[in-house]
Amino acid sequence: MIGIYGAGIVGARVTETLLNNSFAEVCVHDSSSTVAIRLAKRLSKENQVVNVVDRNKLNSAKVVVIAIPPPHAEIARELIEQKVSVVSTSDDISDCTNLLALSELAKRNSVVLIVGSASSPGMSALLARSMSKVFDVVDEVHTALHGTGGPACARQHHRALSGQSLGWHDGEWLHRPGGSGRELCWFPEPVGAYDCYRGELPDPLLIKRAFPELTRATARVSATRRDRVFAKLPQLIPPQAEGGMGGLRVEVRGNKNGQRVVDVVGVVERVGQVAGVVSACTAALINSSEIIQPGAFVLGEMALPNDRILGNVVASGIQLHAFVRA
Amino acid sequence: MKVIRRVLLALSVASAVAGVLRFKGKGVGAIKQGGWRKITDKK
Repeated sequence: MIGIYGAGIVGARVTETLLNNSFAEVCVHDSSSTVAIRLAKRLSKENQVVNVVDRNKLNSAKVVVIAIPPPHAEIARELIEQKVSVVSTSDDISDCTNLLALSELAKRNSVVLIVGSASSPGMSALLARSMSKVFDVVDEVHTALHGTGGPACARQHHRALSGQSLGWHDGEWLHRPGGSGRELCWFPEPVGAYDCYRGELPDPLLIKRAFPELTRATARVSATRRDRVFAKLPQLIPPQAEGGMGGLRVEVRGNKNGQRVVDVVGVVERVGQVAGVVSACTAALINSSEIIQPGAFVLGEMALPNDRILGNVVASGIQLHAFVRA
Repeated sequence: MKVIRRVLLALSVASAVAGVLRFKGKGVGAIKQGGWRKITDKK
């Protein structure tokens, strides 16, 4: 059985994806039972049931997708101690670090913990791993994200611009202020070009873990002038229920046949949809025992069937675009 | 008059430094021309 902790935008997309992939039963828990019941009523069909369960019932699931705002570490610890595998959608650096520290606990309990299984991080690492196959050596991965999922994701975006960004640069972690380092990034249409900036994002940390050979890894998010000016203040305007069309762009640099090669792949889709599909496909493979190696992993790591996950993500309707030079 | 000259000098030096940093800040080898091609089809 697959459990979903959180019935917001991402939790709903996880549920939808699992039901579209012919799962007969999915259990959902949310701190607001009204939200969970509404989701269950909307998605339940004659032969497919979405059960609203209490927190303790999730302990009997084989795998639980945590789709609530960070932190996830404490919930993940409780589930792992009950021998439940966990897929976390956390996009917070400290939370991801705390989750990775649960690796030994996961090994002792013979369960799998997937950290950062969302859009960026998550989808970005899957794309980087897929693109890396055409290179002899990959030494740089640069990601950029446009858009946000639900309100919690928008709040995280706001915090990211006021925090300290993390970037791997020639053998050391560089800390730079969020909102700095403007770069015009082109996303597939209809998103187009947006100015993107450094932010307190976990992508470099997780991608470096998946690709230890990298010499440079950075992550940026799109932001407007208003976003940057008001980043240090509390979020004055309440976020929308869900962000509009988002974009993800992954640039991989390396060598092939002795030449320098740069490849770019992008995705245009609502960020919450990508996060939901990626985490649902990952959880489905854990549920079907295709991911069995115990411990904490990030997507893109060699120990995971990344091709299989990405194949399922694409089959679930997420389209990929490659940048081709004129 | 001296103050104005100093202010103008400071502004011109600041502009020159900003200009240098702006040009230097451009990504080396950044792709400037091209387009997107779909590599997967919708289910």
